[in-house]
Amino acid sequence: MFGSSMAAHHLLYAYLSVWLIQGGYCAWVAWQWMHTKLDSRSEAPPPSEEF
Amino acid sequence: MKRSRILGLVGIVWLLASLGVIAYATRLGLILAPVDALQGNIFRIIYYHVPTSMLSLLFPYVNLVASLFYLYWRQRDPLKALTADAVAISSAEVTVVYATICLWTGMLWGRVAWGIWWTWDARLTSMLLLWLLYVSYLMLRRLSSTGQTHTLAAVLSVFAGIDVPIVYMSIRWWRTQHPAPVFGGGGDSGLDPSMRPAFWFNVLGWAMWGIFLLVFRYMLERRRQESEQDAALQAIEASLEIAK
Repeated sequence: MFGSSMAAHHLLYAYLSVWLIQGGYCAWVAWQWMHTKLDSRSEAPPPSEEF
Repeated sequence: MKRSRILGLVGIVWLLASLGVIAYATRLGLILAPVDALQGNIFRIIYYHVPTSMLSLLFPYVNLVASLFYLYWRQRDPLKALTADAVAISSAEVTVVYATICLWTGMLWGRVAWGIWWTWDARLTSMLLLWLLYVSYLMLRRLSSTGQTHTLAAVLSVFAGIDVPIVYMSIRWWRTQHPAPVFGGGGDSGLDPSMRPAFWFNVLGWAMWGIFLLVFRYMLERRRQESEQDAALQAIEASLEIAK
């Protein structure tokens, strides 16, 4: 779209690298989120008061 | 509906909205905004470089305020201190992400506009220093094993925060290779009105994205803290069982 000059390449690299860095960081946080398990007691529903 | 489910839905809507704004802003910046008369198409880097640079000077203040609250609460209210600490590490990581983009896109632009990748002028050097300070903050938190790590990191964050106004003012205080401020830099500063929508929509989009990352990372840190507390509690319970 902008030709094949160094300027065009650098413009492309700039936009692509921004998406890559931001997307990579977001993916890393999501991966960590999926692999950080809460204790089963924390995820379980609160105990019933009925005996 | 459970509170966590409502928060999840709000997060997804916010994420989709920020991606929509970024997509629209990118189209404005790459296609609809006019070609710069002096620099040509490489000038379009400004629509990503300047908004992310502006935001890379705002997130450190979130880190600074959270670190000050941590230092205040760490003896008085440890639970609140943990919350402040989670905000601090989240904002430090987002700062590093935005500062990395600022430096990298600036280098790509500088290679074309100036013919060099890097120069040790006041703006570039102070920005590199800011990046190094927040990287060292994260490394300290990751590698230090003393009981005072969080306190040391909070103190480091206060010193790192001092660099932010120096970065901001560097192109006003000193003559630099880096251009004068886009806004508020005197009579010659400012963008052509036809370029402003692309610029401000990128500021909005990347700010919304940054807030999403900050909150998402904060929730991850809180999850980790809860997980560590559960593990500690289980260890105590197990030791009590052995003692019986």
